[in-house]
Amino acid sequence: MRKYFTVFAIDWQNQFIYRLNFILWRFRNVLRVLMTYYLWISIFSSQTSVFGYTKEQMIAYLLLALFISSLVTSSPSNDNVGGEVSNGTLNNFLVKPIGYLRYWFTRDLSSKLINIIFAVGEISLLYIIFRPSLYVSPNLISLLLLVSAVIIYFLLGKLAISIVFWAPENTWGFMFTILVLMEMFTGLIFPLDLLPHWAFSTLQFTPFPYLIYFPLASIIGKPVDLRILLQSFVWMGILYYLLKKVWAKGLKTYSASGI
Amino acid sequence: MKIFKVTLRYFINSLEQNISGPTVFLLFFTSKLLRYALFMSFLYYLGTGVKLIGGYTWEQMLFFYLIFILIDTIVQMFFREVYRFRSLVVTGGFDMVLAKPFPPLVRCLLGGPDFIDLGVLVILSIVIIYFTSVYIHPSLSQTLSFFLMLSNAFIVATAFHILVLAIGILTLSVDHLVMVYRDLTALVRIPVDLFTEPVRSLITFVIPVGLMFTFPAKTLLGLLSPSLILFSFIFAICYLLFALKFWHFALRRYSSASS
Repeated sequence: MRKYFTVFAIDWQNQFIYRLNFILWRFRNVLRVLMTYYLWISIFSSQTSVFGYTKEQMIAYLLLALFISSLVTSSPSNDNVGGEVSNGTLNNFLVKPIGYLRYWFTRDLSSKLINIIFAVGEISLLYIIFRPSLYVSPNLISLLLLVSAVIIYFLLGKLAISIVFWAPENTWGFMFTILVLMEMFTGLIFPLDLLPHWAFSTLQFTPFPYLIYFPLASIIGKPVDLRILLQSFVWMGILYYLLKKVWAKGLKTYSASGI
Repeated sequence: MKIFKVTLRYFINSLEQNISGPTVFLLFFTSKLLRYALFMSFLYYLGTGVKLIGGYTWEQMLFFYLIFILIDTIVQMFFREVYRFRSLVVTGGFDMVLAKPFPPLVRCLLGGPDFIDLGVLVILSIVIIYFTSVYIHPSLSQTLSFFLMLSNAFIVATAFHILVLAIGILTLSVDHLVMVYRDLTALVRIPVDLFTEPVRSLITFVIPVGLMFTFPAKTLLGLLSPSLILFSFIFAICYLLFALKFWHFALRRYSSASS
């Protein structure tokens, strides 16, 4: 376990080397929220309630979505694992007493910590500007859903990237497909319960709403029961099992051809 | 003539590269179509619960988004090489570009177009023509003005990408810059009028993504005055001249970082 703490500490320091890059990355996150914010503000300019949401509830939702996406989706492993497998750098890890996926999960956690710190600052600033009535009531279920979301995101990303073992040229294309689905179905742009009931129910059979929507809904006091938490854990289990199987199979075919 | 011939060779090489990986081609193609279809479905669904969005009907909102995709796709298709520019500079590969008897700016802008977007463009054009004929009914002068504003958008886009290249030379540590541009453009998936001041003026005249994406659509809808059309042209040309000056300024400060 100590070696992973060291990885965490080194990665934490590394992130301060490319400061401008990091600031731009955070700026990009704020930009993404701005489009959604202005779209919803325009919608509420002609009516007080849309699909059951008031203006204040929607703005609060968007601000917290920024926070949760900072926690869940900041994952440098998604940008690096594919490249390391295809160019053979994975060899360096296979001969060391360290779990490759655990190593990257640790680095992801370090990235998440710094992103959360900045997200808190950004949200405070946006809060001062927009002054929404922010009602937050986190509980144990919210916390567990958040932890589960972080793990599901990691597992899902690595599962998609695992294609690199068989078709390295398709890795980014496959990941792009997953990212497109995440963009719409995680609840980052709009609360998923705006959708018709059948669509919302169908989405629960995918891992996407457990990434942002359900943790967020739970934090803002919407009814999110134990069943949802259980479903989230089931997805975590399914993805863990699949990743373990696929990664093991991938390692058997791995030939470090990039070296 | 030489520039044209070499650029054509770059295009042919890129096309051959694109079609040599049909799976990647198909993955990106379907993912992009899916992304556009999902966002359009979202706007359409909003239209079922909201009569007007910032004074626009859902048909107009959809039209703004279609024109956004059209311009964004064409610009991305031609200027894809800009996304690879940073690695060229930090590895010293840019020295090789400078040493060749071919304008480095043309090489860095048009040296690697991405024809995966060509398929999207064909489908998109059909959708836009259908949508325009059913919902918009523009006059001949509106149509002509639209094409003028479309070419104006490409002038601004070219200037933008030149600026990104120039900043890439001056600040080697930035690899998110072109993605910041992408996120800025993503703001105007909705009409620029939906933003409040000072954001609206900022994204119309300082970072003129509004001028690039919203103005052509407004022209076809007959919502843009001739004086604003004229102003847009003068602005775009000044912007391009400024970008070219800045490019030469940056080139003089290039110091072959890694070779």
